[in-house]
Amino acid sequence: MKECVLTYTIDNLPLDKLISNKLKETGIPGKPVILLSVICFCIISQSMATSGCQPVADTMVTTTQQQAIEFVEKINELESSPFWPNIKPALFLQNLKTTIHKPISIYPGNATNFCGYGALTYLLLQDDPLGYAKLLLQLYRNGKATFSNVNFHPPFALRKAVGTLKFKGILDIHPAEQMWFLTLADHFKGYLNFFNHKYDPGDENRFWAAVNYSKFNRMVRTLLHYKINARGADLVRPRISDPYEYISEKMKTGIVVLFINNRIVHKKDHTTLKLGVPTHYIVAEKISEENNVITFVYWDYGGKTLLQLSPAFFKRIIFGISYCTKNGTNAN
Amino acid sequence: MESVIVQKMEQMPTKLIRTILSAGILCFLLSCSSKNISTRFYYQNQKALDRIEESYKKLYPRQPFNVAFTDKSFTTVSLQIITDTLTYIYLFEVNEPRLTDTLLKYHLDAPKVVELIKDIQAIRCTWINNYNYYVDEKKNSLIFMSIKPMAISSPFTYKKYYILTYFPQPQYFDSAGHLLDKRKLSRLRKINGEIFKRINDKVCYTISGSFR
Repeated sequence: MKECVLTYTIDNLPLDKLISNKLKETGIPGKPVILLSVICFCIISQSMATSGCQPVADTMVTTTQQQAIEFVEKINELESSPFWPNIKPALFLQNLKTTIHKPISIYPGNATNFCGYGALTYLLLQDDPLGYAKLLLQLYRNGKATFSNVNFHPPFALRKAVGTLKFKGILDIHPAEQMWFLTLADHFKGYLNFFNHKYDPGDENRFWAAVNYSKFNRMVRTLLHYKINARGADLVRPRISDPYEYISEKMKTGIVVLFINNRIVHKKDHTTLKLGVPTHYIVAEKISEENNVITFVYWDYGGKTLLQLSPAFFKRIIFGISYCTKNGTNAN
Repeated sequence: MESVIVQKMEQMPTKLIRTILSAGILCFLLSCSSKNISTRFYYQNQKALDRIEESYKKLYPRQPFNVAFTDKSFTTVSLQIITDTLTYIYLFEVNEPRLTDTLLKYHLDAPKVVELIKDIQAIRCTWINNYNYYVDEKKNSLIFMSIKPMAISSPFTYKKYYILTYFPQPQYFDSAGHLLDKRKLSRLRKINGEIFKRINDKVCYTISGSFR
């Protein structure tokens, strides 16, 4: 049976701080518990609303990396775009070419809420790299674009911000990725974006860009030629007795994206009590188990990481498992 | 009715005093993380901190790595070794032989890295990392150190870590000592979302709720 799921991603800040910040920003009186209640309500209502999500038709033909490389290498120069006043054309082209040649280099930036969009883009670059290149060029040249029947038409405030993001690591000099992540965040909305719907400078770090699990799966279903079988929930771990077995089995036939609690994997403070909530999307690359130790390789933030952990800890960090298979294959 | 009003009036000063006292105690507890502490901390431990920075700066180019102490007792070290293809995350006890074996496997200068780790542990440094940032599209690096001092480990303090950044060249600051992005621009430079203040031309500090 297919489970429809949802979660939220809030990188880098404790939930209570984020909620307090949000309440301050939105001017909503009351305590975090009010927002938590709203979130819980949204979880329930959205679970019901998305329980009937359908896979897209099995008719798409996707492209190869070689095709995309040939396409981008033919472009020697770009004219500056009136729609994106702060994008330097040479930097944009260089970024696009690097991404096509080296999809692993996709970098969602320090202290942003872009990790969900990063994981999605990493999948897109494997699924349809030529489509990605054409989409980004179309968006750059026209200020709007259509892809997989989705019309992206980012507002001027957002277009003006692209190319100006600072202190995000190498994302600072990757305007194509800035453009794409901000456009995705502007177009796709989940319940976490409810109080911050409209882009203002700095929103890439705030709830405006947050990706709940349901939204992530919806984006994959909509934009990629994949079927998704998603297990898990925003605040509840998937009911799978042996996640290692489950994930390694799924990885044989498809791509697995995990929604994990990164705050206990990648500790940022010494607080003993931590909220057991997922905060980060990663793409599973390799997994093995020996002597009760799981060796797990995953993609996130522009590279692959190898982590060794116990089965119990592995089970503890996983909140969502999205199993993606090409349309036409069985995703169950 | 009258007696009720009189009663209320009598209760008010006591309530007011209690409220003021509670607020005062709370303010005192929350004010433990005075920003002056970190400058003082730097000067008190300058030799040790500069030695750690110097040693890390020399060892890093041979094989990029970073070190974290993620447990409160500072006995378990988390070592990230960054290669061209993969980032490896390991957890060791500081005196574990596996630590040296692993360092040797990645062609690191094992005795010097172990010495560095022990220095880091001694000063309660929770994380040391090489951090890249960009100015005018040019890549720059700094060394980022987080320290968990005893002085502000009170459970009532939210901000718990001193963060020090070592720049390779002198930086620009505004009149209040805030780190600026560029000389001609009054925009503050944020690192990991934090605003930094001057200790000297190349070293800055902040106090943060997280160590990375």
